[in-house]
Amino acid sequence: MWLRGWIMLSVLTSIALIVLFVGFLTHASLPFFSKYGVSPIIGQEWYPYENLYGFLPALVGSAWAIAIALIIALPCGLAAAIVSVEILPLRYQSTVNLGIDILAGIPSVVYGLLGIALLLPWLENNLDLLTGHSLLAAGLLLSVMILPTITRLSQDAFRDIDNNYREAANNLGLNWSQQLVAVLLPQAWPSIRSASLLATGRGLGETIAVMLVVGSIDRIPDPWYNLLTPAQTITSRIGREMGEASVGSDQWSALMACGLVLTLCVAVLSIIAQTPHKRAAHD
Amino acid sequence: MFNRIALLISLFLPFHSSLADTTLSIAGSSTVLPVMSDAAEIYKSLNSAANITVSGGGSGTGINSVLNGIVNIGMTSRHPTASEQAKLAEKFEIIDIARDAVAITVSKEVIESGVSSLSINQVADIYRGNIKNWQEVGGFDKKILVIDKESSRGTRHVFAKVILGDAKARAPGASVISGSNNEERSIISRSDQAIGMLSYAWLNDKARGMPLKLDNGDTVTAEAKYVLDGSYPIQRSLSIIVAKKRTAELQSFIKFIQSDGVTPAIEKNGYLPLSAAASKLSD
Repeated sequence: MWLRGWIMLSVLTSIALIVLFVGFLTHASLPFFSKYGVSPIIGQEWYPYENLYGFLPALVGSAWAIAIALIIALPCGLAAAIVSVEILPLRYQSTVNLGIDILAGIPSVVYGLLGIALLLPWLENNLDLLTGHSLLAAGLLLSVMILPTITRLSQDAFRDIDNNYREAANNLGLNWSQQLVAVLLPQAWPSIRSASLLATGRGLGETIAVMLVVGSIDRIPDPWYNLLTPAQTITSRIGREMGEASVGSDQWSALMACGLVLTLCVAVLSIIAQTPHKRAAHD
Repeated sequence: MFNRIALLISLFLPFHSSLADTTLSIAGSSTVLPVMSDAAEIYKSLNSAANITVSGGGSGTGINSVLNGIVNIGMTSRHPTASEQAKLAEKFEIIDIARDAVAITVSKEVIESGVSSLSINQVADIYRGNIKNWQEVGGFDKKILVIDKESSRGTRHVFAKVILGDAKARAPGASVISGSNNEERSIISRSDQAIGMLSYAWLNDKARGMPLKLDNGDTVTAEAKYVLDGSYPIQRSLSIIVAKKRTAELQSFIKFIQSDGVTPAIEKNGYLPLSAAASKLSD
């Protein structure tokens, strides 16, 4: 009885907190939207001193950074999961897991400092850039940071596959790569998909490491696929400007609106990430 | 039982009662920070009971934090903007503590490549994006890495006012936005083709001050001599902002800041004490 009450209380508290946060963000960004409308979301210029609050450069920057991260981290994480679960003997698995957990445990500011000390000079020297501060640098850092999430959840996906499938595939005479492509990957796919979506949410919200390497300049890459130019992400903008905006000002409200847009994006991703699980369970 | 509940409740109370009164908090301009930090050390050695925390964030943060009551003392290296001034007017006081110059700072290699001085117009053209290569101002054939600062930073206001004509002017030629003096200096010294703005106390071998050619033909550098005689144009007061209504502890610290006891902290960090500036100017 006590236990049930306690659990109910925790659940209600969590729900209340979510409602409180989203409610606060909405409340705080309302003055901005009522004054400027929703058109700033596709505006291209962000100059608080001139009352210009265009979200687009930061939105594009965030999208590019996370896209680069996923392109790199998804194949790597998936491969690591396949190797550790399907190929390595059980006793080596814990070693792999230890490595991944250490990767996950490194604070993001440390990634940022490593980015400044190693990644930026490397990019400058090898790609002959004016500056290493770029979307590519942000994407590369993010890829390492979301790798553990993708690997760990993909490992679970493969572990959850019933051994009967493997035996049946063996009995059919499928070789290993056929087994992987025809049996294991399709079975694990729903979980891998939600792993990627969760990792996307985490990557979108990452602030300090991105802020240190992205260049923080509010410009859409020109041409649009030029990933070697400095740019801005939503989080890096909030991180840079939150301290200087006085509470209640337009700028403050605009930053809250940025936060709200980001939160909504991540919330949508999380909801999408949940759905395939249910469908798979019904099949 | 009752005691335990009281203890539990007390954990959740904000501890602003007795603790906070003996702790003075200071935040803001990263240019003023080293002075205040050293001044706090000296003050602590005189009053062992004093407890002072000093943190950065930039002038905008300093002004806002003291306005919002987050800290006792805000540090700023620029004049408050009109809207900030309106909020500060009645209840707060601005106290100048030292003078400083903002140096046009370039990577060491730029000076070695033959750029011996820049005029204000040339610097303005670089920041407006009209001059993009060091060759155009007598240096090597390398693109210019133009570093701008977060818009609320004191160094940025003073620089933009003199160079671009308006403290809030845009700098479309900028490639990267940086924050603190430290961050800016690290970008400049890592590059071999960068230009930026630094408080002159932050110059070092790899991030060097660029002599400025004035309209009258004189060439001046950001150093004490030219700051004191007023010929170096990009100079400013370093100040602190504090409420007019103060506790005894705060008042005693402010009194110390205004005394000669703080001079070593100012000189150690390469700035000019007001007493020196005053006596020199009255000569």
